[in-house]
Amino acid sequence: MTDPTFRAGFDATLETAINSALRYDPGTRARLDKLAGKVLAVALSAPKMNLFLVIEDERIEVHSRWGGEVTTELQGSAIAFLQLLKNRDATPAKLGVTVRGSSAFLAELQSILRDLDIDWEEPLSKLVGDSPAHQIGLGVRAAAGWLKDALGKAPGAAAEAVSEEWQVTPPQAQFEAFAEDVSELVQGVDRLEARIAHLRQRLNQRGTD
Amino acid sequence: MTERKTTHFGYQQVPVEEKAGRVADVFHSVAARYDVMNDLMSGGIHRLWKRFTIELSAARPGQTILDIAGGTGDLTARFSRIVGPAGKVVLADINASMLKVGRDRLLDRGIAGNVETVQADAQYLPFPDNTFDCITIAFGLRNVTDKDLALRSMLRVLKPGGRLLVLEFSKPESKLLEKVYDQYSFRLLPFMGKLVANDAESYRYLAESIRMHPDQQTLKDMMGEAGFVDCEFHNMTGGIVALHKGIKP
Ligand SMILES: C[S@@+](CC[C@H](N)C(=O)[O-])C[C@H]1O[C@@H](n2cnc3c(N)ncnc32)[C@H](O)[C@@H]1O
Repeated sequence: MTDPTFRAGFDATLETAINSALRYDPGTRARLDKLAGKVLAVALSAPKMNLFLVIEDERIEVHSRWGGEVTTELQGSAIAFLQLLKNRDATPAKLGVTVRGSSAFLAELQSILRDLDIDWEEPLSKLVGDSPAHQIGLGVRAAAGWLKDALGKAPGAAAEAVSEEWQVTPPQAQFEAFAEDVSELVQGVDRLEARIAHLRQRLNQRGTD
Repeated sequence: MTERKTTHFGYQQVPVEEKAGRVADVFHSVAARYDVMNDLMSGGIHRLWKRFTIELSAARPGQTILDIAGGTGDLTARFSRIVGPAGKVVLADINASMLKVGRDRLLDRGIAGNVETVQADAQYLPFPDNTFDCITIAFGLRNVTDKDLALRSMLRVLKPGGRLLVLEFSKPESKLLEKVYDQYSFRLLPFMGKLVANDAESYRYLAESIRMHPDQQTLKDMMGEAGFVDCEFHNMTGGIVALHKGIKP
């Protein structure tokens, strides 16, 4: 199974994209509020996945599973779904999308989402997924970057933290050793990522042999 | 001479009756900076781990949910929106400082009405039998002195058919990943903890306690022994974190 964080990343990015577009659009938010509690289920055939858009007061939540009631259900390919969201004269029938349940809710939601400026492709890139090494890499880099920043901004506080940590002053040599550890760690992550990319490539090649 | 029972606190052995107090010290000292450190430590990935937990919980409007060891209330906030006005979420933690930060955070996020906060120990939950549709414990079980006792206590307060979800650090699937991760958590983490929260010890404890926690299969077996059925786990981020699920029969 692929790492569940990929799918969670997709859902989170999509949700953020929709709701940040909504933030600057009070008129649309008010329209959305009228739909509160309604749920659109989307069953994509290619790629195969389920998606639930749940209307919450003035925002939309994205779920990969939903146990409750569904107002409208759509079935079709991702391309067709994107067309529905972006294209003014796209209709489910023209695109071969099956609709079950309330079509009034679908029409209203479609018109709301079309009016918003949403980048639908960005969330899709998350689905492809980062390797665990890449995910940790992000953490390590964020931490290392932050560390550099903190040391630059408040050298006094950092020096104090460092000397307390080692119970000596000035811990110049130790501090350098520590800095080296950090950069080694970042390099370690890079190596790990490269190795995984390499393995992946070999697996892919094997797949097409 | 009577022999004293000990348990692990990170890599140290401490008398059983002392562990809870030591864990409390850790969380009292990190409470205020807890959220910042969480994001910093995981590069924000903890949000995705929690998101998947919510998805697997199958929470629905009207349900009653317990978020034990809930700390600053990340899961509670999301559950509160899902269960809606007809449902209820109990945010519980053994630590008053964490609970207070949690309560303030929820108010900041505009969440009130269907959330209750309760100071409680996962080993001795102060709720009647068969109360909850779902219980989550995220990054909490590791800190509990007697995990079996906690699992049984959670089983008791779940309704039949109710779900327990345990989100916890676990064992990386690859040796190489494990090595990098070790470097990160034993060297970098305590140092960041020192700088951000002025508290390296607490973060050293966190790193050590992660290594002492049962691995995927062991925890799954423990859940089965406690009486849960249909136990399963999902590895995330290469097994650095695992989500375990079990059902009360
Ligand atoms: C790492 S925090 C996790 C907080 C939150 N669930 C999250 O994921 O962000 C661990 C929490 O477990 C709590 N805790 C430790 N031992 C406990 C026990 N026996 N019963 C209940 N909570 C406990 C601590 O006070 C702390 O707030």
